[in-house]
Amino acid sequence: MVGEIKVLDPTINTSSEDSLLAVRPESLNGLTVGLLANGKKNSVEILQYVYEILREEHGLGISIEDNKGNASRPCPPDLLENLANQCDVVITASGD
Amino acid sequence: MSSNTTSKTYSFQSANDAAEYFLDQGWTDGLPINVPTESAVAKFVDFSNRTGHDTIGIEPVKNRKITVEKVAINAVMAGCKPEYFPVVLSAVEALLEPEFNLHGITASTMGAGILTVVDGPIASSIGINGGISVFGPGHQANATIGRALRLFVINCTGSRSGEIDKATLGHAGKYTWCITENKEFRPWSNTSEDRGFKIGANTVSVFAGLSPTQVSNHSSQDPENILRSFRDALFSAGPNQGEILIIFCPEHIQSISKAGWTKSQIRDFLYETAVRSDTEWGFGSVPPGPRPSGSGMTHSALTPDSFTLLVAGGAAGAFSSVIPIWGSGVNSHSVTKEII
Repeated sequence: MVGEIKVLDPTINTSSEDSLLAVRPESLNGLTVGLLANGKKNSVEILQYVYEILREEHGLGISIEDNKGNASRPCPPDLLENLANQCDVVITASGD
Repeated sequence: MSSNTTSKTYSFQSANDAAEYFLDQGWTDGLPINVPTESAVAKFVDFSNRTGHDTIGIEPVKNRKITVEKVAINAVMAGCKPEYFPVVLSAVEALLEPEFNLHGITASTMGAGILTVVDGPIASSIGINGGISVFGPGHQANATIGRALRLFVINCTGSRSGEIDKATLGHAGKYTWCITENKEFRPWSNTSEDRGFKIGANTVSVFAGLSPTQVSNHSSQDPENILRSFRDALFSAGPNQGEILIIFCPEHIQSISKAGWTKSQIRDFLYETAVRSDTEWGFGSVPPGPRPSGSGMTHSALTPDSFTLLVAGGAAGAFSSVIPIWGSGVNSHSVTKEII
């Protein structure tokens, strides 16, 4: 006899309300950028490299550098808030 | 009971079809599962004395609400019995504590497993093995409780291989890794008693364990000689470890305890014996994390209290184990919860 079997979804998906992306700027020209390194070796260097390219090719404005210092832990909320208050966009990177 | 579930349901013509679908979706560890029917999940929820929609915690990085029902679904899939479910639930509560850093340990290239240690009368009443082949197969409670936690990680936090889970190697303990201590041979208090839980409490501890290194010494009954055998294994973990797990086999711990050594003496000796020059650390491959102090000599552990000492394994054979903790035992700390 063939019956129907009902099973439950084991997953939890992040709802779109929890993960809204920031509004993307139409242009990077003149915008202040945060460069958030994660404490790994070379993470500062790669951010500088990316910043120079974006500045030359897209007219990105000044940069504000910060470093969360520990790649293994989430970014401290006060550091994120500080960047959010000062920057139009933020780039983050992991090095090694 | 079944009408109370809140998860999305899928209908299939057979359990095999359902299991195939779960495998295809990446909802398993690659092994076959028990399919989580509404009635099977309801039995587990009933065993918890909670309702399915009760929240047991929030995954702190992705901000995901973890419910009893979602944990139960994954425990059914893993092949648990309903009576194991309180252990699984309390272990998940422990995983969600921020100091455990679940996102870090399950996303990192370093590739940790979740070593789950159950203490108290519940361990023997549900059949958790702490003896022969303690890390090996053959015991349903060990196999399925550990697996339930891995399936929870995969399905409820999204840390599946190649997506969030970026482990370079990982290790076999990522499939399942649940034990109890061998109380027959343990000469001292258990881990949860050391952490302030009352004697006889049912507890579960979770450790972000990297691959174990077996330590062999069949030639000595002298405590100092036995403990010196741990040096190379400790060095491979890197310097300045904030927490590191030592699993003593019965033969080793019997010799050490016959000589009258206490836990504290063992910790002090391990700390003092696993030290080497910063030059030697430099020759080795120092893992990411704390660096040698630069002051000349650096210990493998930050302090003697960095060592957590357990007794487990079979009575025969002089094989102990060193289990480093992810993130140098600094960025993840083990957590113990009482099983309710």
